[in-house]
Amino acid sequence: MADAAVLAPPRIRPRLSRDEWLMGGGLCVLALYLAITLLVPLVIMLAKSMQDRDGVFVSLANFIKYFTNPALTGAIGHSLWVSALATLIVIALAFGYAYALTRGCIPFKGFFRLVAMAPLLAPSLLSAIALIYLFGNQGALKGWLFGESIYGPIGIVLGSVFWTFPHALIILITALSTADARLYEASESLGASRWRTFATVTLPGARYGLISAIFVVFTLVITDFGVPKVIGGQFNMLATDIYKQVVGQQNFQMGAVVSLILLLPAVVAFFVERWAQSRQSSAVSSRAVPYHTKPRPVRDLALLGLVSLVALVILGILGMAAFASLAKLWPYDLSLTLRHYDFNTADGGSWTAYGNSIEMAFYTAVLGSLVVFSGAYLVEKTRIAKPLRTATHLLALIPMAVPGMVLGLAYIFFFNAPGNPLNFLYGSMAILVLATIAHFYTVSHLTALTALKQLDPEFESVSASLKTPFYRTAWRVTAPMCLPAILDIAIYFFVNAMTTVSAVVFLYSPATTLASVAVLNMDDAGDTAPAAAMAMLIVLTAGAVRLLHAGSSRWLHQRTQAWRGC
Amino acid sequence: MTTPYLRVRNLTKRFGDFTALDDVSIDLYQGEFVCFLGPSGCGKTTLLRAISGLDIQTHGTVEQNGHDISALPPAKRDFGIVFQSYALFQNLTVARNIAYGLENRKQPKEAIRRRVQELLELIGLPASGNKYPSQLSGGQQQRVALARALAVSPGLLLLDEPLSALDAKVRVYLRDEIKALQRRLGITTIMITHDQEEAISMADRIVVMRAGKIEQIGTPLEIYHQPASLFVAEFIGAMNLLPALLVQQGEIQLGQTRLACTVNGFAPGTAVQAAVRPEDVVCTGRTNGHANSFRAEVRDLEFMGPFFWLSLSGGELGEHRLRAQLPSQRARELDLRPRDSTHLHIPAEHIRLFPEGYSHG
Repeated sequence: MADAAVLAPPRIRPRLSRDEWLMGGGLCVLALYLAITLLVPLVIMLAKSMQDRDGVFVSLANFIKYFTNPALTGAIGHSLWVSALATLIVIALAFGYAYALTRGCIPFKGFFRLVAMAPLLAPSLLSAIALIYLFGNQGALKGWLFGESIYGPIGIVLGSVFWTFPHALIILITALSTADARLYEASESLGASRWRTFATVTLPGARYGLISAIFVVFTLVITDFGVPKVIGGQFNMLATDIYKQVVGQQNFQMGAVVSLILLLPAVVAFFVERWAQSRQSSAVSSRAVPYHTKPRPVRDLALLGLVSLVALVILGILGMAAFASLAKLWPYDLSLTLRHYDFNTADGGSWTAYGNSIEMAFYTAVLGSLVVFSGAYLVEKTRIAKPLRTATHLLALIPMAVPGMVLGLAYIFFFNAPGNPLNFLYGSMAILVLATIAHFYTVSHLTALTALKQLDPEFESVSASLKTPFYRTAWRVTAPMCLPAILDIAIYFFVNAMTTVSAVVFLYSPATTLASVAVLNMDDAGDTAPAAAMAMLIVLTAGAVRLLHAGSSRWLHQRTQAWRGC
Repeated sequence: MTTPYLRVRNLTKRFGDFTALDDVSIDLYQGEFVCFLGPSGCGKTTLLRAISGLDIQTHGTVEQNGHDISALPPAKRDFGIVFQSYALFQNLTVARNIAYGLENRKQPKEAIRRRVQELLELIGLPASGNKYPSQLSGGQQQRVALARALAVSPGLLLLDEPLSALDAKVRVYLRDEIKALQRRLGITTIMITHDQEEAISMADRIVVMRAGKIEQIGTPLEIYHQPASLFVAEFIGAMNLLPALLVQQGEIQLGQTRLACTVNGFAPGTAVQAAVRPEDVVCTGRTNGHANSFRAEVRDLEFMGPFFWLSLSGGELGEHRLRAQLPSQRARELDLRPRDSTHLHIPAEHIRLFPEGYSHG
C-alpha cells in the first residue's frame, strides 16, 4: 500500500448550484446579445471593407483605392487637426472652469455648473445651427470673423468646443476635487510659491484626469457627424465622408473603409483613456484630507471673469438657437412667432418624428438600464465561468471605441443582409433602440459596475448560506441599493437617445424618423428655422426629463435616508 | 469516543502555484467552539471558505454529520455565517434582515414574526426590529448578523473575524455574549481570528495555523502551556527565547548558570532554545531559597498597572536578556530599582526546549 500515498488525491469537482447554472446561463444570453448587437456587425463590416459591390473578396483593393484618392485621404488630415485644435481649446477652457468651480472662491458655483452642463441636453447639431445664425452669411456677428467663413474648419472647431465642453468639465472637476490638503500644507510650509504649488501639486494631481479628458474630447470631436455636416461646407472630415459614401453614393464598401480608418484613432484614444482612468482612481489614498479653498481676491476675480465669459457664450449659443426658432424671418423680420414649430411646412420634419424620438428614448432608457444593470450584475457576481465573464466585460467596453457612424453602418451590413433571420428588425423602431443601447453601453456598464462594487461582496455568501436564490437577493437588496445608479443610467440613455444622430442616421425608416435626424434633414433642405425649433424641442425635453430625474432622485434620497444613515 | 460532527480530511487548496492550504485535517465535535488562529495569510480564511463551500478546496474531503459535502455548493450545506463586515442588508429593517432566511422557507407569517422576536430578545435588542442597520452601533449590527445566521437553526455556525471591526471595549463585551449564546444553543461553532487573546478566552479548542498548515490543535491551556512548536510558543502570549546548551538529560547551561528542566528528547551537547514565559520567572530579591535560581541585574522597569515589566541581564545571565512579569504588589515589597541585583527562580516545569535554528515565519 506504499503506492497509495504517492498517488495524488482526486481533485474535487465542485457541484454547481442552481444559482450558478442560472447565472451562467444569463451570462451566455448576455454575451450572445452583445455579440449580435455589437461584435458580429463590426466583424461583418470589416469583411465588407475587403469586398467589391458584388460581395467578391478583393483583399485590400478598396483600401488602395482610398489611399490613392487625395480627395478622400485629405479627410484624415482634416479630421486630425480640427479635432486636435478643438481639444486644445476645450481642455484649456474646461480646466480653467473646473479649477474655478473646485478651487476658486467664486459666487454662484451651482449656477455656473448648471450652465456648463446645458450643452449635454442638445444634439451637437444645435451649436452648428446657432453658429450659422451668429456668423453665417446673414449672421448677426459676421464681422467678428474678419472675412473668414464660418462654413468650414472654424465653424467645426467652434461648434465642437461648445458641445464637448461639459464632457471635459465633468472629468476635470472629478480630477481636481480629489485633492489632498496635506500636500498643499506641506508645499506651503516648505515655502513654495503659489505657482510652484500649482505646478508641483495641482497639475500632477490632475494629470490623469487631463489625459482622460483630452482623449475623450478628441474622440468625441473626430467621431462627431452632426457639426461638420451642418457647418462644414466643402471641408470634408472622416465622419461626413462615411455619410457621403453611404447615403450619397451608395458605396457601402468605401464607407466601410473610411469607418475602419475612423476606428483607429478612436481605439487608440480608448486604450489611453482606460489607462488614465485606472491610474486616476488609485492616485488618491483613503487617508487623504479634503482640501478647502481659501479666498484670494486677484485669482478669484480672474476665475470669475473666465467662468462668466464661458457661461455667457454657452447661454448665447443656446439663446441664439432659441431666438432663431422663434424669429419670423431671420434676419429681415425679427418678430416672434411659433410657426416654425409647426413642422408640416418644413421638409423632413414633423411632430411624428418628435413622438418617435420620445418613444425611442423611453424604450432605450427602460430596456437599456435593464440590460446594462443585469449584465453588470452577472459580470460582477457570477462565481463560475471566469473567461466568459472577462469576455463579456470586454465586449461591454467596445462601444466606447466605436464611433456611432461606424456602428450604424455595421448595423446596415448585418441586419440588412438578406439571409439574416433578424432582417425583420431592419427599418423598425427596435433596431434604433438596439443601436442606441449598444452605442452608449460602455459608460452605463461602468456606472453599474461601480455601484455594484460598492456593495458588500459577502451579501451573496450570506444569501447562499440562508438558501435564498440569488435573484431574490438581487431584487430585494442589490437593485434597491443601486437604484440611484440605475436611475442615472436610465437618464443617460434617455438624453443620449434624444440627442444622438450618428448611429441612427443610417437606420431610421420613413416610419421611424427621429427628432435629431429631422434637425439634420430640415437643415439640409434649407429649413434652418424649423431645424432650430426641433433642436430646441430636444433641449427642452431633455431638460425636463433631467429635472424629473433630479426630483425623483431627491425624493428617493429622502425616502431612503433612514437606511442610508445620513 | 463519539463520532465527529465535522470531519475535514487532507484539505488542500491551490491558487495557481500558490498553496493556500496544505493537507489539513481536523475533527470537530458536536457543540464545540473551535477557533482557527494564525497570522494573516496562514490559510484560516481559506479553510473556513472551503468548509462553507464558498471557495471549494482543490483536494480533500469535508464530512458534516456523516454526509460527504466536499463538492456541494453553499446553498446545499447546513451552516450560518457571520462576517467581519456584518454584511447586513442596509435597505431592510433589522427584523427583515433576521427574517431573510425564514421567508424563503414558506413559513406562516405569524411563525416568522414570533421567531424574529425570539431572536431579537436572544441578542438583547428586543425593541430594535423596526430600525435600519445604519441606526445601530457596530456591536449591535454584529449581533443582528448573528441572529440572522441563527434564525434558520443551522447545524454549524461560522464566524469570520466577527469582532475585528469593533472597538476594544465592545469587542471584549461581545466576546462573552457570543460565547454565552453559543453555550446556550449548543451549536457547533468555528471562529476565525488573528487575536490570540480572543481565541484563548472563547474557544474550547484552538487550531493554530501557519503557512497553510496546522501547527497545533489543543485546548487554550495546552496551547499556552505546552506549545508544540517555537512558532506557537512565540505567537501565543509573551515568551522569552534564550539560547542554551543541553549539558545532560534534564539540565541546561544558560549563561553562567545551570538550570534543571523536565523536557528531554535532545542529545546532550545539543544547542537549544529555552522558552520561558515572563510570568513564570519568579523574582525573589535578595533571598535565594530556591533551587533553579540565578542572579541577574535589573536593566529597566516598566510600570503596566497591575504588574511591572522587568528587563534583566548581566550577572549569571551574561549577555542574555530576560523579561519577567512582576506583580505590582510584589514589586513594592522588593522595592527594585534599575541596576539592582536580584535573585530569580524559574520552576523546572516551566522551561520548554526547542531545537535551535528555527527561522521566524
